[in-house]
Amino acid sequence: MPLDDLFDEARRQLTVCNSCRYCAGYCPVWPALELRPAPERRDITHLANLCHDCGDCLSACMYAPPHEFAVAPPSVFADVRKDTYRRYVWPRRAPGRLGTGIAFAAVCLVLALLSRLFTGRWFGAADRPGDPYEVLPHVPLLIAVGVPGVWALAVFGWAALRYWRDIHGRLADLFRPRAWRTTFVQAVQLRHMEGGGAGCEVPGRRGFHLVLLYGFGLCAVSTTAAALLQNVLGAQPPYSWVSVPVISGGVGGIAMLVGGTGLWVRGGGSGFLWSLLVLAATGMLTLLLRETVAFGPLLLLHVAAVVTAFGTAPYSKFVHWIFRMLSIHHDNLER
Amino acid sequence: MSTDVLVVGGGNAALVSALSAADAGARVRLLERAPAHFRGGNSRHTRNIRCAHDTGDEFTTGPYPGAELRRDLGGVGDGPSDERLAELTVRESRSVPAWMTAHGAHWQPALSGTLNLARTNRFFLGGGKALLNSYYRTAERAGVTVEYDTQVTRLEWTGETCTAAHTADGRRIPAASVVCASGGFEANLAWLGRYWGEAAQGFHVRGPSYNDGRVLRELLDAGAQRAGEERGFHAVAVDARGPRYDGGIATRIDAIPFGIVVDRDGRRFHDEGEDIWPKRYASWGRNIALRPGQIAYALWDAKVQGSFLPPMYGPYTAGSVEELAETLGLDGRAVAETVGAFNTAVDRGGPPSRTFTMSRPDGRRTAGLDPPKSNWAQRLDTPPYYAVPMRPGVTFTYLGVAVTDRARVRRVDGGVFGNVFAAGEIMSGNILSTGYLAGFGMTIGTVWGRIAGREAARHALG
Ligand SMILES: Cc1cc2nc3c(=O)[nH]c(=O)nc-3n(C[C@H](O)[C@H](O)[C@H](O)COP(=O)(O)OP(=O)(O)OC[C@H]3O[C@@H](n4cnc5c(N)ncnc54)[C@H](O)[C@@H]3O)c2cc1C
Repeated sequence: MPLDDLFDEARRQLTVCNSCRYCAGYCPVWPALELRPAPERRDITHLANLCHDCGDCLSACMYAPPHEFAVAPPSVFADVRKDTYRRYVWPRRAPGRLGTGIAFAAVCLVLALLSRLFTGRWFGAADRPGDPYEVLPHVPLLIAVGVPGVWALAVFGWAALRYWRDIHGRLADLFRPRAWRTTFVQAVQLRHMEGGGAGCEVPGRRGFHLVLLYGFGLCAVSTTAAALLQNVLGAQPPYSWVSVPVISGGVGGIAMLVGGTGLWVRGGGSGFLWSLLVLAATGMLTLLLRETVAFGPLLLLHVAAVVTAFGTAPYSKFVHWIFRMLSIHHDNLER
Repeated sequence: MSTDVLVVGGGNAALVSALSAADAGARVRLLERAPAHFRGGNSRHTRNIRCAHDTGDEFTTGPYPGAELRRDLGGVGDGPSDERLAELTVRESRSVPAWMTAHGAHWQPALSGTLNLARTNRFFLGGGKALLNSYYRTAERAGVTVEYDTQVTRLEWTGETCTAAHTADGRRIPAASVVCASGGFEANLAWLGRYWGEAAQGFHVRGPSYNDGRVLRELLDAGAQRAGEERGFHAVAVDARGPRYDGGIATRIDAIPFGIVVDRDGRRFHDEGEDIWPKRYASWGRNIALRPGQIAYALWDAKVQGSFLPPMYGPYTAGSVEELAETLGLDGRAVAETVGAFNTAVDRGGPPSRTFTMSRPDGRRTAGLDPPKSNWAQRLDTPPYYAVPMRPGVTFTYLGVAVTDRARVRRVDGGVFGNVFAAGEIMSGNILSTGYLAGFGMTIGTVWGRIAGREAARHALG
């Protein structure tokens, strides 16, 4: 659907919503709509990103298709979010699935060659099994992961600023610790997916999403802990099975696999979910098989997955949390 | 498998009857005329229920004693048709919210903007369709057999016992007891026409087109006693641009007390400033139904624009009253004269003693105008001007079958049918005469569904 038509259609549906308001108790989208009797494009964008897609409003709607009013906010919001993910991210053109696949393969190849170049062996057939630096030395590894990482962060930051300017305006309001605390608590609980107590219309969806989110968080803890151990305490990897990086990474990896698979089964399959699953699966295998000959190739595979994930994150559904957090923050500020 | 209790209908009264009968151990079969996605009758359009309670809670802002509810019920229209049954309904309403919660209902915390109803009425989280979805889920878990797209066209009798229901697709469904919860006849314009004449053709029906009164007619033809007034119905002003059926809540017009209302000839005809609560909702459908062409126009100006729910199709707007009237196809001069006379009468009413507020009758009234505007009267003088065309939107009809305090359908000969029970709109005329109390339709359906289901099960199981 052309963009103007999409926003016109959203406006048409929301006009019906505004003259009904039965959904007011489900989530903040509806009270926020009440403040916007004539929603403009940026209002619709804000509402769409505030929506956590629990589906409760649709199943409660007496005007849902096939009623002639054809009101279906979750799907029109999903389409608007697709526009957001493109419009605010630079550059706008996203790599397709094929492109991502090719990039992944290319990164694998380059890493394998780098490994050969720096270690003189294929896949770092190591003396110390489980030592990543026998596969790829510290500095090239850091650069390989750091460059796409910094790129992604820069793109996220720029996107966030532009989005905030559009939906809210005052940049200073980005620094409101108290509102952020509320926002953060709501976000990490996926509070707005609870349907005001009715629960998400798709059973298990919120639960799996939470598991995936916390799994991802634990993996981030694992990486950070490893960096601290090495650079501050001077302890070299591999770390013992009962160390912070291994436990958090292990639990986090399993959680990501469980949450990701659950979401997949519940019909949330996207390229982004795929890349998270590959990330978690290669990470877990690297950990489990770190004392075998498979360690080297698996580690390279995992690093390639990380590099690809960082490089493509701004162009995948990964970005959803940025806009969602900002919309929750804006919502908390306008109350 | 044989059926103990057959429930005809698929709205609130039907689901409550089915759940109540299943709770009592009966094998229940429910026949809903609508397809699954349109199931739930008028009940899918509802939003709240009015029950007596001694203390406020998370969902109501304060106590609402039974005596007060009883008084409120007596204060609308000509009061209840049957005092005893009204009394029973009020008494039973106390235990309704807990019963609903136990059967899957979710509630919306008392919010602002709940139409001053937050103390007396509980709001369903997500509205009536969400409530019905929960009920259907609970019913299926309780083993109730639900059949959609199944219209009952005939009831089969052996003496005073209903032996089976016949469906439009030619099936005969026998049962030990039958609960009729198939709504009123509001969607049957020909039937409405018997009492309203030609005017019925100008009515909109706010709920689905399924409630044509077929089962009610079957009962009356079989000798059931009538309850309620022929012209008893609930009707509000709805947007004339809305669909003929099933426009629901979104097409009703909230603008009336904020400005004035003129008819096809550009003349005012009724006090727009009548006490907003609780009559406003119930009176304007009827007022417009009695005007030529069953159409009227609400007019307001820039001063109040934005202070009420926006009409779904947007208002007409113009820089002058005359121009606006002509956009609507009305006589510009007549409307301008009406507005002029109204403004003069507002001035004559003296300087406003209080500020304009919708939260209560503000006493700002016209002087020397017929009909007067007895509250919220202020000049229409600030462009742009706005208008919407309105028609009567019939919510539901009251005329139905008389029942006993056990929901058994009474006969004209003074007896009762052996195994036939009724709940909801189809028997609302036992309680409502002409007036209406917001949220009481669902109370009637729930209270009487509970009784009907229980009694039908008791009858079937012996
Ligand atoms: C827009 C709107 C808003 C409302 N808001 C409220 C509110 O907030 N609070 C309130 O208390 N009341 C409200 N009401 C009134 C309320 O809807 C009714 O009082 C109540 O729902 C009646 O319930 P019922 O089960 O008797 O009828 P319905 O819910 O209408 O159910 C009748 C059922 O019977 C089925 N049926 C009809 N004929 C046949 C047949 N021949 N065979 C098989 N099935 C058949 C229909 O498909 C339907 O499922 C509202 C009504 C409307 C239209």
